[in-house]
Amino acid sequence: MKDMKTFYTGLVALIVLGLIVVPFSVNVERSYLIYFLFMAFIYVVIAQGWNVVGGYAGQISLGQHAFFGLGAYTTAMFWVHGLLGTGADYYFNPLLMILSGIVPAIVAIIVGIPLLSRLRGDYFALGSLGLGEIIRVFFVKGGDITGAQDGLHLPSGGYESMLPYYFVGLLLAVLATVGVYFIMRSRIGMAFRAINEDEVSASSHGINILYYKILAFAVGAFFTGVAGSLYGIYIFHVNPDSVLNINYGLYPILMCVLGGSATIFGPVIGSFFMAGVFVIAEQHFPMIHPIISGALIVLVMRFMPTGIVGLKSRLQRD
Amino acid sequence: MIAYLSFELIVQLVVNGILYGTIYGIAAIGLSLIFGTMRIIFLAQGTMIILFTYFGYWLLELAGIDPFVSLLIVVPLSMIIGVLLYRSLFKESAEMDDKNASLLLAVGIMFLVNNLMLVMWSANPRMANTAYTEVVFSPMGITIPFTRLIALGLAILSAGLLTLFLKKTYLGMAVRAASENMLYATLVGINPHRVNTVAFAIGIGLAGVAGIGVLQIVPFDPFFGFTFALKALIALALGGIGSVFGALMGGILLGLLESLGSFFVGGGWAEAVAFGAFLLVLMFRPEGLFVRSVKKA
Amino acid sequence: MENLLLEVNGIDVFYGDVQALANVSIQVEQGAIVALVGANGAGKSTLLKTIAGVKQPSRGDILFQNQPLCGRRAEQVANMGIVLVPEGRGLFANLTVLENLKLGAYPVKARAHLQESLNRAFELFPVLKERVSQKAGALSGGQQQMLAIARALMAMPDLLMLDEPSLGLSPLISKEIFELIHTLNERGTTILLVEQNVNQALKIAQNAYVMKTGSIEMQGSGLELLANPEVQEAYIGKRWSKT
Ligand SMILES: Nc1ncnc2c1ncn2[C@@H]1O[C@H](COP(=O)(O)OP(=O)(O)OP(=O)(O)O)[C@@H](O)[C@H]1O
Ligand SMILES: [Mg+2]
Repeated sequence: MKDMKTFYTGLVALIVLGLIVVPFSVNVERSYLIYFLFMAFIYVVIAQGWNVVGGYAGQISLGQHAFFGLGAYTTAMFWVHGLLGTGADYYFNPLLMILSGIVPAIVAIIVGIPLLSRLRGDYFALGSLGLGEIIRVFFVKGGDITGAQDGLHLPSGGYESMLPYYFVGLLLAVLATVGVYFIMRSRIGMAFRAINEDEVSASSHGINILYYKILAFAVGAFFTGVAGSLYGIYIFHVNPDSVLNINYGLYPILMCVLGGSATIFGPVIGSFFMAGVFVIAEQHFPMIHPIISGALIVLVMRFMPTGIVGLKSRLQRD
Repeated sequence: MIAYLSFELIVQLVVNGILYGTIYGIAAIGLSLIFGTMRIIFLAQGTMIILFTYFGYWLLELAGIDPFVSLLIVVPLSMIIGVLLYRSLFKESAEMDDKNASLLLAVGIMFLVNNLMLVMWSANPRMANTAYTEVVFSPMGITIPFTRLIALGLAILSAGLLTLFLKKTYLGMAVRAASENMLYATLVGINPHRVNTVAFAIGIGLAGVAGIGVLQIVPFDPFFGFTFALKALIALALGGIGSVFGALMGGILLGLLESLGSFFVGGGWAEAVAFGAFLLVLMFRPEGLFVRSVKKA
Repeated sequence: MENLLLEVNGIDVFYGDVQALANVSIQVEQGAIVALVGANGAGKSTLLKTIAGVKQPSRGDILFQNQPLCGRRAEQVANMGIVLVPEGRGLFANLTVLENLKLGAYPVKARAHLQESLNRAFELFPVLKERVSQKAGALSGGQQQMLAIARALMAMPDLLMLDEPSLGLSPLISKEIFELIHTLNERGTTILLVEQNVNQALKIAQNAYVMKTGSIEMQGSGLELLANPEVQEAYIGKRWSKT
């Protein structure tokens, strides 16, 4: 047991170390590998966000794209409207990125109170889907503040290299994964699991169900919002179609389930796998890339419904 | 804006809402059946609808078959596709407690079919044109397009047939029983795969009906499908899961909300109103607005 | 024994990692009432669910009319003639009384006799006839239990399994239910009965098993067990002595 833990810690450290070295061994600005890894990092963060609320706490949210968009828009709005002051550096501003997580988290708390107190199971899934679409309408109709359908253009003059994107992405992915690890080992994580397992018995053990569900929803929103912020800075053009796309609500579920949800590394594996598929398909079969991705989702869900990590434990049991 | 408001206009908006809403209603009935026995949100429903719209379009363009005659081909075909979808894809995941796999299967199908359509028919909006596309009735100054009237008739007919099936046949009764409690249904000897297959066949069959209904009513493109699925979900929530009549009424109510909403508050906000109503109903009347349900025994 | 209807041989059953049954064996003879009693959580319901095919044993086997049941799914077991009235009665609350009854006759061989079975059900339970078009969920607790049993009989089961049929019913109604079970048995139905009301159950059972924490602890005829001081002490006490 102890040995396994040391082994895993060592393995993870080695992989992270490897990832730190990668940019120094390829042409960062032109390499698809860097682009692939950068996207994978972003996916890891949103997948871990869903992992907390959907995987561990069992509240299937279909509205994570709302938080992704909120995060990206928070960053864009602060930047475009100069809300941190004119002299401030907005590029990868840590304060701004954290803020871009806090805003969605606050929204998650505000809407989570009515939604999570009244909706269970599938109904919560439906409700969260509706939430995402409502938030979308607000941004589309937000006039000059949100830039309406065209969205907001960030000043792209500051772009120098892909390198900072890469490292910020890596840092966020590591932080998100380590964060989930510690949350799930804490009493809070215990409560999440208990709620997922059996709400009635959790509440009879004195766990405040609503409080923890909202907390999980907010933590998931925070992660997703921070990822949205980074993505916003990367694409420079934040608009409803790019960041409030339902795909950002569905991808994290896909990646978690694919890798194995409610595990620490499942979402990481799922994210890297899907990012790889997306990038390869985009590069080699641009016309039919989404078809391949769709077919792959169908095949994976058909033949490995418990994901890659689940497959391993399934094989071990047999 | 209010200055232009006349009685005729209001009636026209209401009529538009009802006529259009019935299509949402059919889509919602299909979702409701599939959700009923399998407890999954079949997000690909809207995409399937548009797929059948394109089938109808092809039959018209390539073979010159009238859209409403093509129902005779498209509906059986869609039912077969429904059966195949269940047998080949959903059967295994239907047995799992964890519904994520089924949900993602639906998402995958949506992705796949959506993009297949994009490759085959491009993103250009299309609409079918027949000799009677432009025919309009105008009783008392209100405009009622003939094609919409037919769509209304189709919706009522299919809802009626389905109700007969569910109420009068053993298999229909089994579907309703399984929707209420699958475990109890198996205890009386009902095979879950059988009722799931039936639910899929009818659910996708109704997508065929709705698809043909759409064909001559609005311009459609491959992306229309997802919007349609969302609309069907709203209609379903408004009407209450598990009731054919409720789902149809939910569709009509949504049609009204949209039609009146886009007139009074404008296009985009009307959508927010619809989703807002959806959330409120989910929260405060999850059994829907049109159903009186007995609490679990 | 050639008239053995059901034989459970040394089964283990788990819920995840939790073992609910350990090496449980019981036998049910054709035409008998067999009672299964024991404290809460002893595994009585689990045993019935396993026979019904809702749960699968990880070890041991189950024979019904000398055919193995293991690996068969719940609906297959139901179609073979074993019907379970589960805890909570298993009715379809939003369906009418008549629809519930008709669904009881869902297995093909029962469906052929639908009309006779309906007539018999209404003869046994005149209250149900008055309420055919009411929703099952609108019935009283006692009526629901009667409907549940009536629906089970519609399948013309070779083995009827009842999980706590008297649960939540007033003593008077519960007495009626026991009389009914007795009558059904006299008309030829084999019954496997789980009951908290140990006194009543043992009185009408030819054979009985006492379960404790997942195993069979005692076995004997109903009257033997009823007279057993240990059983008296543990499961009967004063509470039930009057009913
Ligand atoms: N769905 C389940 N998941 C996990 N454990 C379960 C489940 N159902 C029952 N158990 C456990 O299995 C054991 C046996 O339960 P079972 O319901 O068979 O007991 P019982 O004898 O019917 O009790 P009661 O008299 O309360 O109905 C108990 O320890 C219970 O906690
Ligand atoms: Mg029990």
